[in-house]
Amino acid sequence: MTADTPHELAPYLDEPPQLRAGAFGKDARLLLRFERRGGRSILAEMVRKAPLLVQKALYCDEGMPGLPVVFIITNSGGILQGDRYAMDFAVGPGAIGHVTTQAATKIHEMDANHATQVQEIRLDDGGYLEYLPEAVIPFARSRFLTRTRIRIAPTATLLYAETLMGGRKYYGDGERFRFDLFSSTVAAERPTGESLFVEKFLIEPGRSPVFRPGVMDDFDVFGNVILLTPRAIADAVAPRAVSAWNKADGWAAGVGRLPNDAGLIYKVVARESSVVRARIRDFWSLVRPEVTGRPVPPEFAWR
Amino acid sequence: MATIAELMRVLQFGDSLLPVGAFSFSNGLESAVQLGVVRDLDSLRDFVRAAVEQAATSDGVAVLSAFRAAAAGDAEGVDRADRAVFDRKLNEEMRTMTVRMGRKLAEMADRVIGPSAASAWLGRIRSGSAPGCLPVGQALVFSALGPSERDAFAVHQYGVAGMMVNASLRLMKIHYLDAQAILYEINADAEDAYDRVSGRSLDDMAAFSPVFDVLASLHVGAHVRMFMN
Repeated sequence: MTADTPHELAPYLDEPPQLRAGAFGKDARLLLRFERRGGRSILAEMVRKAPLLVQKALYCDEGMPGLPVVFIITNSGGILQGDRYAMDFAVGPGAIGHVTTQAATKIHEMDANHATQVQEIRLDDGGYLEYLPEAVIPFARSRFLTRTRIRIAPTATLLYAETLMGGRKYYGDGERFRFDLFSSTVAAERPTGESLFVEKFLIEPGRSPVFRPGVMDDFDVFGNVILLTPRAIADAVAPRAVSAWNKADGWAAGVGRLPNDAGLIYKVVARESSVVRARIRDFWSLVRPEVTGRPVPPEFAWR
Repeated sequence: MATIAELMRVLQFGDSLLPVGAFSFSNGLESAVQLGVVRDLDSLRDFVRAAVEQAATSDGVAVLSAFRAAAAGDAEGVDRADRAVFDRKLNEEMRTMTVRMGRKLAEMADRVIGPSAASAWLGRIRSGSAPGCLPVGQALVFSALGPSERDAFAVHQYGVAGMMVNASLRLMKIHYLDAQAILYEINADAEDAYDRVSGRSLDDMAAFSPVFDVLASLHVGAHVRMFMN
């Protein structure tokens, strides 16, 4: 344990009996850089190291045919004990990009060590990035820590949505928030280093109950959508974002204004992931036209 | 052991009726009651307890950090804690609450106890170089008055619970003695909370309260309301 090891990892530092933590095959690296060249945006740089893989950018978004879309693939079937992932997304001046994952990120049960993921996201002037990964599903006894640092120019826009499920809700007798640790920090700043906001979730259901009023109540899925954008776009999106407490249909959502004029944060809780997904898509459908003038197309039937 | 004078200062500056504006805020309870998340004594107890627990691991850490910085004469450290609180308030009403009460506390300290680190901080708030968040004000006041960081932490935790329990009397049909019993019960958690967070740094400040956050954002748009949040 080093001085900068977060305190919550202290109980989970034992070496796995199989591959040691961070060994070859467990130290995924992914670097994606979008750039604007000759009037269009391309995936100009791609560095990958298994188990995280990317094939190539696809121009498959019917609402925005000029948008390079990247699917992150994994060949390990999920995150395992001792995994150390690092991802780096950069969007150059005036470039656009969309990053998503091929499937939900499964964080497997652990009996030694933990897994970490470090993300660096950088957007230059006028850049636009949609980072909308599929849900994260932490299995019982998993321990996961993720840290995301965002550096964003004042004229750029980042839409970043995370969906956290409590586990495999319908597996066995129901796996609802039975993981050991889920720690997630997102910190955003300007390229000058000026801080915009910080959000750290620390979820240790064994120590601090999740199903109580104010925390998850009796909801099972949590969606957290961060929109870092110039004030005019935030002003246009905020009043139209669906904010409601709809207990009958099993969801609640609300939009808030981030400090330092950084943009908006949209939070959704629901009993089922499909509802969170629909709310996030609604919000995304407000943001994209406001930023780019292009629509979000109807969802593919098989996604 | 605190002197009688120190103890009385804790009582005065930790009083829930201290005129810094706590009376105008419910810390999210108003929405919770309106929407049925809090509907009886049990759900009130659970809601307040969750809020107080989250306060310990987030703002409570900043209280301790600012107190230690103030004790070391480190104004930059004080401002770092202030900025850390502000940058983690992701809801506009929560920001309003903390900076309004923080500033009022600094103004009161300046007038009542005379020049101290809180006065210098008030100057920085007025010039716009410090946000002025309540937990930092509490740390500065208690550092200037003599009590320990534990006292400052206790006052902070008591303030969160007291604000919500006082608001509950105006929002719900509950007996005032039941409300006091809840406050008494929840305050018993503070010792363990202090032990848990006393070794943590500003980077460790954390919370997890999605429903609380959604309620706070719904309150911003609510038409009928008694409290500012």
